[in-house]
Amino acid sequence: MKRFGAYADLAAAAQAPHPPEPSHSLVERLPVTMRPGLNQQLQGWESLFPYERRRLLGFLRGIESYSPAEWQSLTASLVQLEQRMGVAGWNFSEQQDTMENASHLARSEHYVEWREKVQSVFQAVEAAAEKASPQSPRLPRLVLTVLPQNLPVEPPEKWKPWDARGCAYRVAGNAAGLDARIVQGQPGMPGLAAHAPAGGADLWLIDAGDELPRLDAAAAEQLHYKRLLPFRDRFLEEVNKMPKDLAVSDKTLEGVRHQNWERWSPDELKAQPRLRNFLVDLFLSGNGALIYPSAFVEWASSEALRRARPRALVARLGMRAKPKLFTGIAIFENQQKINTLPEVEDPQGSAIDALELARYIWLAAQRYPEKEQTIGLCIAEHHNAVYLIAPKELAPRWPADKPVPPEEIAGWLAQAMAG
Amino acid sequence: METSRRDVLKIAAALLVEQWAAARGLAQQSTASQAAQRKVVVVACGGMRREDTFAREGLRNIPTMSGEMFGRALFFASMHNNGATSHFNTLSSILTGTWQRLDDWGLNSPTEPTFFELLRKQTRMARNQAWFISSNKAMTNRIGSSTVRAYGPEYGANVVFPKQLLINAVVHAAAEGRAVHSADRSSVQPEIEAMLNQDNFDGLGWSVGEVAALDPITLGAIQKAIDELVRTSAPVTGDEFTYLVSAEVMRRFAPAFLTITFSDMEVAHFGSYSLHLGGIRTVDRLVGELWALVESLPAYRGKTTLLVLPEFGRDMDGSTTNGFFNHRQNSESTRSTWMLCLGDGIRQPQVIADPVEQIQICPTLAHLFGIGGPAQAARPLPGFLS
Repeated sequence: MKRFGAYADLAAAAQAPHPPEPSHSLVERLPVTMRPGLNQQLQGWESLFPYERRRLLGFLRGIESYSPAEWQSLTASLVQLEQRMGVAGWNFSEQQDTMENASHLARSEHYVEWREKVQSVFQAVEAAAEKASPQSPRLPRLVLTVLPQNLPVEPPEKWKPWDARGCAYRVAGNAAGLDARIVQGQPGMPGLAAHAPAGGADLWLIDAGDELPRLDAAAAEQLHYKRLLPFRDRFLEEVNKMPKDLAVSDKTLEGVRHQNWERWSPDELKAQPRLRNFLVDLFLSGNGALIYPSAFVEWASSEALRRARPRALVARLGMRAKPKLFTGIAIFENQQKINTLPEVEDPQGSAIDALELARYIWLAAQRYPEKEQTIGLCIAEHHNAVYLIAPKELAPRWPADKPVPPEEIAGWLAQAMAG
Repeated sequence: METSRRDVLKIAAALLVEQWAAARGLAQQSTASQAAQRKVVVVACGGMRREDTFAREGLRNIPTMSGEMFGRALFFASMHNNGATSHFNTLSSILTGTWQRLDDWGLNSPTEPTFFELLRKQTRMARNQAWFISSNKAMTNRIGSSTVRAYGPEYGANVVFPKQLLINAVVHAAAEGRAVHSADRSSVQPEIEAMLNQDNFDGLGWSVGEVAALDPITLGAIQKAIDELVRTSAPVTGDEFTYLVSAEVMRRFAPAFLTITFSDMEVAHFGSYSLHLGGIRTVDRLVGELWALVESLPAYRGKTTLLVLPEFGRDMDGSTTNGFFNHRQNSESTRSTWMLCLGDGIRQPQVIADPVEQIQICPTLAHLFGIGGPAQAARPLPGFLS
């Protein structure tokens, strides 16, 4: 097994302005269908979060660690499968993930087998890279979700179970404001930014409205759906021009991706190209992020967890409007433009959406190894209650029958996060 | 849905069908020829998970289907979609009896004969006896017939996308920068009129034959119906309109084979679980109304088999594909669904728990009509009369 050369010190290499020299040629060693995603990451190096860079470099280090014979043995069956699938005859981009690529793969009768083989190669390469990596300390993490006061969700005792460890507690007094107390800290207790090194994308605040406290841009990645209105409107307009043709769509999407979005951004995003690119990718990947505030919060949280693996993520869900005339049949359209009647809020429907999507955010965090040390806290403001999932060693000893003061909840959390 | 709005939709539906018939000089089938025919109606719904439908916690979303209908049904508890879980591919697979792997956006026709073609060619059935009526924007009129040389459009179905006209009218107005609002209706009206006066009614989705301009009387009536629709403030669901057009087609032409697709529940792609469940409830209600209609029309009563099935489920909670939003995961949640069958063609009410596949539906239809099935046919489903 080789030594790691350019990839010996991943942390240092991740901070460099460009990926190490051999990276592109290492990607070339991969079977064709594994190349687009990695090439796209290398080309968009400046848009990657620190965790993504470290992971990419770790993967390349894994490839480099194989001898030619070992590599051939690892990848041979996937290469053969690609031949059977006829990949060489497809208009398949090796430089980036495209809709046409995805369409070819998903339609193949060998799709399921292909996914399994790709997964198998990926896991083997990552395992090889990890063998030589120093273990990072297992610091506690937080996924904080907030169901605002105006959403009449069911009381936590009636929720679908999120996790076997989950417990509901009543909050003494008003639970509204607990999120701000946790984010900003309280006298004698640091806020969440204290646990997140500046610039490391380790703290995310994602808000369906404009309610969460604003922190210094270096301290946190912050997205407020309400403040993104001009950005979203413009984006929706561009996306709706997209023709129903895969090849043309990829070109259109590429054009959208590379537009200058700075002018449509709120002030806090103007100096943050990486976060702006995150937003563009988020909107291009659909999942309702352009349409409904809580869907935006859920999908942005899910993508932030996947791409940045932050120590703390705060997600505040919110109210959506009822669908207006005709938007029920053309829902992807901008309903404010199509119908200028005033929007009418849908508290009941929004509550069902927000509760389900808050659970989805927690489930998204469960996909990663850090789940073992992740605290889940959901604040149900409407009921002055919280739902807490805590690792056993961190769990508080609050009596189930007695309301817990907000400052005690925030204090316990600050202590737990300090490790 | 409020009565007055539904009345408006009914009028619009009747007029659309009237227009179709007038353009082709078609008349309603004679009662004698109808009497001899067995009828089959297939209702394919978009993605619905078992847990939101035929599971303990989902039954409240489908009170009609899980209630009285279920007691009279042949129910397949484990119907599998083992193909590409996209709309066009799934419906093509159901209609051809082979797993189709086509362009997701319907740019290609199925590569094997559809049941419409098999039925029409073998029985010399008239064109107005085979229809495909869809709410789904992911469909195109290529679903109506295959690329197989011996078949093709000559034997294809009438393919209709009723809601497209409404969408086009509104979206076109919006694209021109005019908003739909009672206060500025005068600015919108010309856009809608312009659309209605176009010679080529792409929006109607007619796939067969010549497309003629609307005659002035019909045009005026449709215009009035849309005018009324624009005035209302409640949401209009596409499935409601699709149902009403289907009902009108059944009254007027009594097709022997009709496929209807509903898709309100596909709002799940935009992340609203409550609206997704609302879409499921709408479908449940419309299926009940459809069966009541079948039992009330002499052309259908006592000789009709109804098949209702989701195209697929949706992805699992916690999946990397974002759970109920999508339907592309290779999981039981996405692939395993159900099918409820009622009426003339079933042997007896029963639940069949053994796994079956959607590609068995086409040979089953052939079995019901007594015609030859697809060349590479899977086994017909059990529980049906021949």
